[in-house]
Amino acid sequence: MEKINFRNDILPLKNKLYRLALRITLDSAEAEDIVQDTMIRVWHRKDEWEKFDSIEAYCLTVARNLAIDRSQKLESKNIQLNDDATEISDSHDPHELMEHDEQVVIIHQLMNLLPEKQRSVIQLRDIEGKNYKEIAEILDITEEQVKVNLFRGRQKIKQKYLEIQNYGL
Amino acid sequence: MDYKYIEQLLERYWDCETTIEEEQILRAFFHQEDVPSNLIQYKPLFVYQKEQKSILLGEEFDKKMLGLIEKPVVKAQKLTIYRRFAPLFKAAAMIAIILTVGVVMKKSVDNNGGLIYVYDQYQGNNSDPQVAYDSKLPVDSINNIVKDQDGSQVENN
Repeated sequence: MEKINFRNDILPLKNKLYRLALRITLDSAEAEDIVQDTMIRVWHRKDEWEKFDSIEAYCLTVARNLAIDRSQKLESKNIQLNDDATEISDSHDPHELMEHDEQVVIIHQLMNLLPEKQRSVIQLRDIEGKNYKEIAEILDITEEQVKVNLFRGRQKIKQKYLEIQNYGL
Repeated sequence: MDYKYIEQLLERYWDCETTIEEEQILRAFFHQEDVPSNLIQYKPLFVYQKEQKSILLGEEFDKKMLGLIEKPVVKAQKLTIYRRFAPLFKAAAMIAIILTVGVVMKKSVDNNGGLIYVYDQYQGNNSDPQVAYDSKLPVDSINNIVKDQDGSQVENN
């Protein structure tokens, strides 16, 4: 088995980890922090790297767990400071790039309204292009559950999006 | 492009029956400029999926990360030789201090005389079992011990 190297094998995962963390926390600074924490954690377990079937799946799992933890903390903060909630959905929208396209922004918002599991599954499938088995491993659920979550997520986005298209907001 | 095929793919996409490759075909199809009007409503979804993949962390992050991870290791390697022997140095220093203090104390005690000899005398006497019956010794405590032993022996008998 080839030796895993931090610079060549783990550091390049940063973008995938970042996108998943961002999908869960919806906060770019928080997501970057999570990627950093994930990598430090993985680095500290470097004696075990060879034991993992897929170091990528392991990193994604760590990042997701950290992101869920952090977003729960964020949520509890937001309950106390109510005006933060609106700020996050507006100003932390990381897609200035495509703000010209209102429809794409609507998709983004619909996607981020989904429950975390559906969001993560869609992120890993439709954006990262992972197969069901990999997603199941990352999320620690069965492939059947992956499919159920993906189905519900896609259906919800489709349905809500078409509603908005047909009847307006 | 065969739109029937795309429509079919789209149906299967909603039912989660498409493969990863087929989903890539859909993304590629919706990414092009002219999408037929009956399908154009789905364009933003697939455009979004593709655009999301271009969200990246900058080079700065790499530097920060490598700084966090590699520097401590380099430092640790540099320091290992010193760190490994540091406890030994400390131990050696402690022994040196204890010896010095010991020697100084012993010398001062020797100069005063007396004390050590008295201690030695008692030690010599104590090693001899006859000492317990020696009437020259302070009598009262020894007698107590002898009495106690006799008493307990009687009781045991």
